Amino acid sequence: MLGSMRYAVKTPLPNGLDELLTHARPAEGAPPNILRVLHAIHDVCGYIDPRFIPAIAQSQGVTEADVAGVLSYYPSLNTQPSGRHRIQVCLGESCLANRCDRVVAAIQSQLGIELGQTTSDSRFTLEPVACVGNCAVSPSVRIDGELHGRVRPSDVAGFLDRYR
Amino acid sequence: MSGVRLYLSNDTSSCAAGAERLAEAWRQRSDVELVRTSSRGAFYLEPMVERDSPEGRLAWCHVTAEDLPKILAGDGGIPISTIPFLSKQTRHTFVSFGVTEPLSLEAYQAQGGLAGLRNARQGSPSAIIQEIKTSRLRGRGGAAFPVWKKWDVAATAQADRKYVVANADEGDAGTYCDRMIMEGDPFRLIEGMLICAMAIGAGAGYIYCRQEYPAATACLRAAIRAAGKAGWLESDGQPFTIEVVSGAGSYVCGEETALLESLEGKRGVVRARPPHPAQSGLYGRPTIVSNVLTFATIPNILARGGAWHASLGTEGSCGTIALQLGGRVKQPGLIEIPFGLTLREVLDQFGQGMADGARLKAVQVGGPLGSLFTDAQLDIPICFDAFAQADAILGHGGIVVFDDQTDMLELSRHLMAFVADESCGKCVPCRIGSLRAREILDAIQRGQATEADLSLLTELGDTMKATSLCGLGGRAPYPVLSALEHFPVEFRSRLRS
Repeated sequence: MLGSMRYAVKTPLPNGLDELLTHARPAEGAPPNILRVLHAIHDVCGYIDPRFIPAIAQSQGVTEADVAGVLSYYPSLNTQPSGRHRIQVCLGESCLANRCDRVVAAIQSQLGIELGQTTSDSRFTLEPVACVGNCAVSPSVRIDGELHGRVRPSDVAGFLDRYR
Repeated sequence: MSGVRLYLSNDTSSCAAGAERLAEAWRQRSDVELVRTSSRGAFYLEPMVERDSPEGRLAWCHVTAEDLPKILAGDGGIPISTIPFLSKQTRHTFVSFGVTEPLSLEAYQAQGGLAGLRNARQGSPSAIIQEIKTSRLRGRGGAAFPVWKKWDVAATAQADRKYVVANADEGDAGTYCDRMIMEGDPFRLIEGMLICAMAIGAGAGYIYCRQEYPAATACLRAAIRAAGKAGWLESDGQPFTIEVVSGAGSYVCGEETALLESLEGKRGVVRARPPHPAQSGLYGRPTIVSNVLTFATIPNILARGGAWHASLGTEGSCGTIALQLGGRVKQPGLIEIPFGLTLREVLDQFGQGMADGARLKAVQVGGPLGSLFTDAQLDIPICFDAFAQADAILGHGGIVVFDDQTDMLELSRHLMAFVADESCGKCVPCRIGSLRAREILDAIQRGQATEADLSLLTELGDTMKATSLCGLGGRAPYPVLSALEHFPVEFRSRLRS
């Protein structure tokens, strides 16, 4: 009951999320699936506003702590909006062996941000990623959906220009 | 469509190496008919373009868009059969790679696909399990557990529902063969899962695919639709559903019980065993969780017989192994060979030694939890038993070669920091041990550690090995302690004097 009141009064849901959460309600007798709902919201919004937690908990019939626990557990679920373009630099061992640190340094100096940060104009977010399975043509950099292999520090400026 | 038929790989790594740029440049040309295939796995040659000839396929390597006239004229192509990296391999699971279009069911069947499923349908569930037992197949995800034993437990368990789960959370850095299978030969995985479902009596399957593999996810979903449309997604007269579920960036979700928790939508925290998933897995029902490569190995076993599979490889490690070469070797790529060659032979014959100007310092086998080998240790045969005796793992077959510019202390710190980040937190040795170990390595880097800290690091490692709940904490100390053992000067020279 408390959950539904909060849902009605306080939770600021963007357009479409009401419907998404209604749709995500487990069928009678079926178990809830918190991660699935979080993925669905993430796909729509690009991140999950922690203020949605009560509504998500209500739709799944679980506690807010359950939802917060899952949300904080998974590295790729963002709780803040990222920049317009997402740069993921692979730090897997094959990339390390092939000097991805130099590529990271080149991107950092080009953008003036560290790993995990977003540029002040919200254009780029720079994230580390553990491995993208592109080890045979490493080092790897993924910008939005596009994966680049055998990246040299000197390639960086050209890549970034295309996303300006 | 007319024009010269050119084959170009659609694999993620081929595209990242430039294949996609070629496709964009040539797509509109009327004199070219582009066929997007899986990749041969000879990634050092990508982007690679092939065309048919009376001597089989010809290949052009490291192609740029400007090379097209040369290719159309037939100038300079080399027969695929003359590329030693490929011709020295024994391709069974990866036999179609580079040849077929991943989503062509027709091509899959032309290459022998579905023969295993047909044989399975003619026998009983126990006959399927007997065939797997004869094959002596061991799980390819890292644990190397006899596959038939798991299936037997799940088959004899009484339950209202049973599940088949493919572990496609290929998180070990340096590995990519599961990604290649999902992108390049998805029907083989589906066929393997279906045979397993028939053997244990499961009605539903899941493929838990890591989020870092968007192309694999899309390809699998398309393949499942195509298989359903073609009418072969059924087990024991009932429809067999397969759903692809995305992970969310957690490495430990590759551990089978954490994976099941994650599939249920919860935090991906490891469960204590027993019970094993084959007895009580997804939603408490008997569940077979196996790696993608394991399932992809099944169709050939049912098609050609368990004895055929058992005749390949070594006494304790039957069949072929998919090795994935990466790091500073000259020829990185996918290699499928029978077990038994030594690590040195693999690096020499397939890797062709080090990249130009580089000297070998260490080789890590089996992902971020795998032990490090020095040059003097490379004569170890690639099989489960030899690696177990050496306190090492084959894991998922990833081999990363580091050169002499590698700072072993920094590498050790990186690996331990990774475990500290990825620990699920359920057991103390892993949760606290990895953090303390990382702190000690940090302190060494800052020049603030003493000899006593090194002893503590070793002691901590021994505790983690002995008492962690799963392989993450249990294996985490190995690469660090092997680095300390082989390269002590790099650690000791930075201690506080």
